[in-house]
Amino acid sequence: MTFRLTCPVCGKRDLYEFTFGGQDRGPRPEQEGLSADEHFRWVQFRMIPGGMGAGEDAGPRAGGQGQLQHEWWYHGQGCGVWFRTTRDPATNREVKDGGGEG
Amino acid sequence: MNWLRLRRLWHPAPLKRRYDTVIIGGGVHGLATAYYLARTHGIRDVAVLESQYIGFGGSGRNTAIVRANQRTPENVRFYAEGLKLWRTLTDELDYNLMFFNCGNLNLGHSEAALNGFRMAASTHNFLGVRSELLDPQQCAELIPGLDISDRPAFPIHGGLYHPPGGIVRHDAVVWGLAKGAAAHGVHIHQGCEVRGIDTEGGRVTGVRTSLGRIGCNRLGIMAGGYSTAVAAMLGIELPVHPLTIQATVTQPLKPFLHHVFSSGAYHVYANQTLKGEIAAGAHMDPQVNYTTDATAYYLKHQAEALVDLMPALRRVRFMRIWAGLADMTPDMAPILEGDLGFGGLYLDAGWGYFGFKSGPVAGKYMAEYMATGERPDILRTFQLKRFLENRYSGETAAVMKYGHWD
Repeated sequence: MTFRLTCPVCGKRDLYEFTFGGQDRGPRPEQEGLSADEHFRWVQFRMIPGGMGAGEDAGPRAGGQGQLQHEWWYHGQGCGVWFRTTRDPATNREVKDGGGEG
Repeated sequence: MNWLRLRRLWHPAPLKRRYDTVIIGGGVHGLATAYYLARTHGIRDVAVLESQYIGFGGSGRNTAIVRANQRTPENVRFYAEGLKLWRTLTDELDYNLMFFNCGNLNLGHSEAALNGFRMAASTHNFLGVRSELLDPQQCAELIPGLDISDRPAFPIHGGLYHPPGGIVRHDAVVWGLAKGAAAHGVHIHQGCEVRGIDTEGGRVTGVRTSLGRIGCNRLGIMAGGYSTAVAAMLGIELPVHPLTIQATVTQPLKPFLHHVFSSGAYHVYANQTLKGEIAAGAHMDPQVNYTTDATAYYLKHQAEALVDLMPALRRVRFMRIWAGLADMTPDMAPILEGDLGFGGLYLDAGWGYFGFKSGPVAGKYMAEYMATGERPDILRTFQLKRFLENRYSGETAAVMKYGHWD
């Protein structure tokens, strides 16, 4: 089943109008004293939440809250805005900040 | 009525509280590793833990295509050995894996694609793997249904034909490996979900599961699309992005398609199963997720692509649609690693959509790695640290980028 996302300009639109921009990792680390190891960890290494149903240790330690993931999307087939949203990778549903289905 | 009595391929074993080696994931990779640990290395105190039933994940959801026409020499060598294993395993396991050595035809729709094929074919031939360039007429001789005129949206400019490939019955591989592993003393526990991993003094000591705690000296994470989630239990971040990939089968037809064909430009690959159905797969959904949801968008895309390439398929009905998880890495090559910061911990993940064709050969070398503690030479190129050293494999040059996972 496909789903819809909420563009801050256009409102709810079909998934296929958007391009996925990846997990929101926060600001790029300071260049000063940044090692190659830290840089590449920031660029590529992830924990994607939502993979284990009842796993007691399955909660993510980065990039999300509980089983949710903050992420970037681009409304390429619409108004062209980049925006942040929160989604549950276990169900694909967009979630409002503070809980509840968006 | 003796002939009616069904004989089980393997029997469930009582759950012990401790095993020498525990493997998380009862798919092709986990079962193959357990099989080779027991058969080749004499390590029989092994448990395979599967949260659902064996073959529930990607092992039972792929389109069963096997081939060794990857881009980089390291990958080609690895998959070429994998191809040879289907025949020896059929003998060894005394179980028909139904390897249909029909060959694969990869279609190119631009001169740039054909240049890519030329380079790939040179690599394959240099390594002794059969692969050859075909012009459109030769493509149509192999697969008479293909439309090689200028009518399709992406006309066919040529193809890369790879005779050693084909299709293997994926369920048979899972069942055969389970049979072989169990015959050598491996315990397979289905419905056993791992919920946590215990460590002590920097070593793995056991797993906490839905069936209680199980101690171990060595642990293999071979959970396919769920590998990132399992690794996260130890706080390990991976450059692995789980994406859904969908597949379909049509109603059964008379045999007319005698080769696997695929097209990067159309994002489609198809083969005719031994039952007569056209099994086909396509692009991945763009966003990381753990669902196995099918979409109407995909079904429409699949129908359009198949009919444009092969107009005779018009009005053939799709019978089933399903989805599985692909664990994508940024460079399209897997991660086979035993140096993860915890003693006794091994990882076999990041296969993307190459997980099925690589199963037995990955299991063979992961078993060697886990048994000896020494990384086999053939796995050197698949280390995790390549992502920290900016030394990605060149495998992305082989195919279209199938998604925007990051």
